This record gives sequence, structure tokens and C-alpha cells, in this order.
Amino acid sequence: MRWPVLARRDQVLRGGQPLAFGVGLVVALAVGVFLLLGSGHDPLRVYARMFDASLGDPRAWSVTLNRAVPLGLAGLAVAVAGSMGLWNIGAEGQIMAGAMGAAWVARIGGGWPGPVLVTAMLAAAVVGGGLLALGPAIARARIGVNEIITTLMLNEVAIRLVQWLVHGRWKDPGSHNFPLAPMLPDNGRLPTLFERAHLGVVLAGIVIALFGLAVSRTAWGYELRVAGSSGATARYAGISLKRKILTVMVLSGGVAGFAGGVELSGNADRITEGLSNGFGFAGIIVAALALMRPSGVAAVALLFGAVQIGGQSIQTMGVSSSVSTILQALILFGAIAAGVLGRYRIQMVAGDTVETPSTGVES
Amino acid sequence: MRRSLFGLLAVVLGLSLVAASCGSDDDSSTKAAFIYVGPVGDAGWTYAHDQGRLAAAAETGVETAFVETVPEGTADFGNYARDFIEQGFNLIIGTSFGYMDDMEALAEEFPDVVFDHVSGYKANGTNFGNTFGRMYEPRYLSGMVAGSATSSDLIGYVAAFPIPEVIRGINAFTLGVREVNPDAQVEVVWTSTWFDPVVEGDSAQAMLDKGADVIAMHQDSTAAGEKAEAAGARWVAYNSDMSAHAPAAHLTAPVWNWGPRYTEIIGQATDGTYEGGYYWGSMADGVVDLAPIAADVDAAVKAAVAERKQQIIDGSFHPFQGPINAQDGSVYVAAGDVLDDGTMLSMDVFVEGVIGSLG
Repeated sequence: MRWPVLARRDQVLRGGQPLAFGVGLVVALAVGVFLLLGSGHDPLRVYARMFDASLGDPRAWSVTLNRAVPLGLAGLAVAVAGSMGLWNIGAEGQIMAGAMGAAWVARIGGGWPGPVLVTAMLAAAVVGGGLLALGPAIARARIGVNEIITTLMLNEVAIRLVQWLVHGRWKDPGSHNFPLAPMLPDNGRLPTLFERAHLGVVLAGIVIALFGLAVSRTAWGYELRVAGSSGATARYAGISLKRKILTVMVLSGGVAGFAGGVELSGNADRITEGLSNGFGFAGIIVAALALMRPSGVAAVALLFGAVQIGGQSIQTMGVSSSVSTILQALILFGAIAAGVLGRYRIQMVAGDTVETPSTGVES
Repeated sequence: MRRSLFGLLAVVLGLSLVAASCGSDDDSSTKAAFIYVGPVGDAGWTYAHDQGRLAAAAETGVETAFVETVPEGTADFGNYARDFIEQGFNLIIGTSFGYMDDMEALAEEFPDVVFDHVSGYKANGTNFGNTFGRMYEPRYLSGMVAGSATSSDLIGYVAAFPIPEVIRGINAFTLGVREVNPDAQVEVVWTSTWFDPVVEGDSAQAMLDKGADVIAMHQDSTAAGEKAEAAGARWVAYNSDMSAHAPAAHLTAPVWNWGPRYTEIIGQATDGTYEGGYYWGSMADGVVDLAPIAADVDAAVKAAVAERKQQIIDGSFHPFQGPINAQDGSVYVAAGDVLDDGTMLSMDVFVEGVIGSLG
């Protein structure tokens, strides 16, 4: 009996990721043709619309870039933790915690000059996200509590906290008893770059680049990656694992919190329980597609953003939201699958030993 | 032969292109886009709006389109609306409260496009208006049916959020219940979601376990009714006639009938008379109504409900006319008084007979 198994390639495929990615995309779009034909749509028109609405002109780019910002920052948060083998599944809640921090500053800083207020809001957002990650960080570093569970559960806590605030303490007296926080003051909004794009696009780009450099080019980042691949080696080399876990988890939470602050200040009119919009969970996919490399999340987030914006747009031509969602998932799945095949090859082996590929991250 | 075939093809292609471009260049006609918060297949809130869209499209003949499951409080609403506007749509109807700020801002950015918002409290007097319905009228009637149906005198009310619209409905329902059954009480369970079949079902089950034999709801799915059906209890649905989903449990339902209003908005947008004001439609206007009452309900109950309905329509009865006590026993509406619209629209008090707190 011979079985097909995935075996790690000795060398990553020449032209590697981009090539594999392109192949995955084409395969996904080809499968999508059947989906669209089956649901009574003209695939060419749908794909053309998807492209036009997401990357077709400067306005489309501005919308896609705005969408890529929270996706990229959430992806970065997951990837930063992932580069030392930690799973931060709590970006969704940390985005909310960050938005709460920023909204709180906006409540007291209505009279401050714009740049001061926005800077303070974003700083508070980083603190908010970091604080929410602090508990899981301490629990993991001190007594080894699995951070996947703790960060995941805190998502619900953060979202309910926002709900509690807008239904009570932060309810706008002018809102006719609707559960609404007051609108942001105008000086608390991020300036516009072009069309719909706001300054958060640049800020997110800088943050992602800084973390990319820090993880891949500095001694700190090297220690991180060593700790991620082998705790024993790290200890032998004198790296303090506990301290690393603490700083990395809190930094990861801070990055997600920053995403919440940027989203609030750049895109929202006020803080609502809908603000995180699934970006924190999508960030896990972004990080996985970027192979947990912080430097890779920008490109992936841009693709992800374009797929989401394009996928939404085709609904205005009558494609149902479920077909659109399946199509988006197909494209992203195609890209992920291609990423795996770029690094592994299919090998036929005898017997029943089945080797499963690791994601490159040990928990 | 081949040549003439190509020629024919070219002519046909050319003609269809001309036809297509005529369609898109003709900007005198109205094109209406609907943006929904839930799936059109929810059998509830969004389903009712989509039925209204279809009715208005058939009535007016204008082109309509929709997108479903658009989350609130995100950039998504604005993206969809701009997408529609770019395609030549000049009337945008948003059917959830959380779209309000976006619609207000878009109305300023696109003065030639009409924006009508269902629920909420903002309007600009020109191209951004507000539409809602006096659902408390049929809610009161459905309470009369529920109050007659309960024998445990405990009715469970599965409700989404403690906002004025929902509180108003719970109060009107409870007043109807206690008109026919002064001993009955209505206990509220908050779900913190408009549409989540699992949570809605669990909340209904919790009330059934507690001894409730009638379940009412302010939710968008049919899950609560399915639990009531399984438990042999009764159910007052909401949004649309949901009797097909729980035939034995279904008593009746306060329902939306958006077709006439959407027809009116499309008409006003087309002839330029849209004013961007506040519209709060009643049973008399036909925007809200009570679904048919189950066949096994006493004829006497049906007659009493029909009489009240007629009185509400002709204005001789108002669900919120005094004397009404608040939950804590204090006077909420004095005898002879009727609540004004402003108080009803920002209602934040439970009436006597409701068990539960406002959040």
C-alpha cells in the first residue's frame, strides 16, 4: 500500500511563494466559476466587478487600503506572538479594548488640538490592547496556562464591556435612550490621505515595517525566534523565556489595540459593539497566510482587504451574501493551500506511517 | 454565409449595447437600493423588508436591488451605499438602527440621492428621512391573545436589547395581556442580539423551564417558536406571520407591512416631493398589523381583539392611555392622559406586570 504524504521540500520552491500563490488564486477562481454559474451569475462580469471595486481606480484602492489596515495590524499582532510560538487568539477583544481606550481619551480631550488628541487616543489604544493581553501573558509566563484559551475568552469580555458602556455609563444623553456613545469630536478623527483612505494606512505601514525589522533583523528578534523553535535551546543560551513571553504577548495585544484605535479614529463615528467586525479573527488567517512572518502581513492584508471589498461589491449586483462569502473563502483557501504546497511536496510512501506537516509554529 | 452571420451577430450585439447604455444613461427614473442588517431568509425583520421591497417594485415598476447581512458600526454600510450610488442608484433605504450616522453623513455628501432610514431618530429635512411604525398597536392586541392563552399566568418575552422600541413593545404587550388577565405577568429575557437562533432558542427554553406557557419575542428568527412548539407551549411571533414554522404553537404575530410605505417613498423620490421628515406609520396606515389569530383561539377573544383593533384604528383607544402604573407601582400615566410621541420614542420605564430590569 502506498500513501500520499506531505514532505517538507529541501528547498523552498524556486520563485516560491508568489508562484504558488498565483497558482492557488487561479485554481480558486476556476472553482468559483462553477459556483457562480450554478447560482446563475456571469462569472466574468462578477470577477470584473470584484476587481474594479477593490483595485480598479484610486477610490477603490482607498477603500481596500482602509480595510487592509485593521486586517494587517490584527495579522501583525498574531504574527508577533506567533514568531515565538505563542497563539494570540484575542485580537478581536484587544481591538475593542484599544477602541475603548481611544474613546475614553476622546471623551476628555474634546478641546485639545487635533494632532494631540489623535496621538493620545492611539497611545491609549495601545495601552488598552496591551492591558487586555497582560492577564493571559502573566498566566502563560508564570504558571503555563494555555494562552489560546485565555485570549479567546477575553474577546467576549471586551465586547460585553463595550456593550455595557454604551448601554449605561457612556450613553449619549441626546440619543433618545438608544444605546449609543456620543459621536467622536471632529478633532479626534484621523486626517484623510486621498479619496476614502485615512492616515491610518501610513501608520499601519510603519508599525508593520518596524516589527518586521525588529523580528527579522535584531538580536531581540533572533532570541524570539530561537525561543519559538526550542525552549530548551533558548534557556541554554540564557534567554529569559518568562520575560520574553510577557513582552511579546503584551506587545501583540498593544498592536491589536492600536488597530482598534485607528479603526475608531479613522473609520467610525463613535464606539459601538460592532467596531471589531471580525478583524481580530481574520488576523489569524492573515498571519497564517504570511507564514507568521511580521514582514509578510502587509501584502497578505492588502490581498485579504481587496477580496473582502470586492466580495462585498458583487452583492450589489445580486450575488447573495452566502455565495460571496464562499467565493472569498475559496480565494483565501486557495492561497493558503498554495502556500503549504510551496513548502511541501506530495510524496508517495509505503506503509502506514503518515507524517503530518507542522505549521512551523510550536505551541 | 459566414460573413452574414457575423454581420447579424454584430448588429444584435450593437443593438444590445445601445439598449444597455440607454438603461444606464436614463437617470430620470428612480433606482432603489435596500441595505439589510440580516439575511433575507430570516423569516423575520429582513424578510419583511424584502417583501416590502418586492411589493413596491411590483407597484411602481422601478429597478430595485439589495444587499443583506451588512454589519452595523463599521465602514461596510458606506462602502455598499457608495457602490450603489456609483451604479446610478438614487434612493438608499437602510433598515437598521446602526446605519443612522452613516446615512446622515452620506446624505450630506450626496445631496441628489434620497436616504430613508428605518428606526433611529435623525432626519435632515431634505434628502434624509426617518421611517418607522407604531408596532405597539398590534403588540397590544397580541398581548390580549397571549393573556387569554396562558394558564400558568407566566409569559416569557425573549427580547434583543433594552432600547425604546423594544421596551415600548414589551409594555404594550403586557398592557394587552393584563387587560384580559390581570394576574398574568410577563418576564423579560435579554439576548443582546437581534438574530442568533441558538441564543434565542436557549432563552425561550429557560423561560419554558421556569413555567411559562406562552413565549413572546422581539427577535428576528423563529427559534423561540420552535422551542415553544417542542414544549407544547404557545408562541406570539413577530415581524411576519410565522405560523408555518411552529403551526401548533403559533398564536398570532404583530407584523410589518412595508410595501405601502416603500411605494410611497419611491413615488416621492421620483417626483421630487421627498421631504426628509419623520414618518411613524400606524395600523390605520397599514404599515403594522396583526397576523391572523390561530384557529383554536376562542371566538370571544378574537371578537374582543377585533373590537380593540377597530378602536385603535379610529383613535378611540390608545394602548398607552392612563391609568397605567410603572413597574414599581408608581403612576406612569395618569387617568385621562395619553403618552405623547416624544415620551413613547424614548421610553425607558417598564409598566406594572413586567418582571425584569432594563439591562
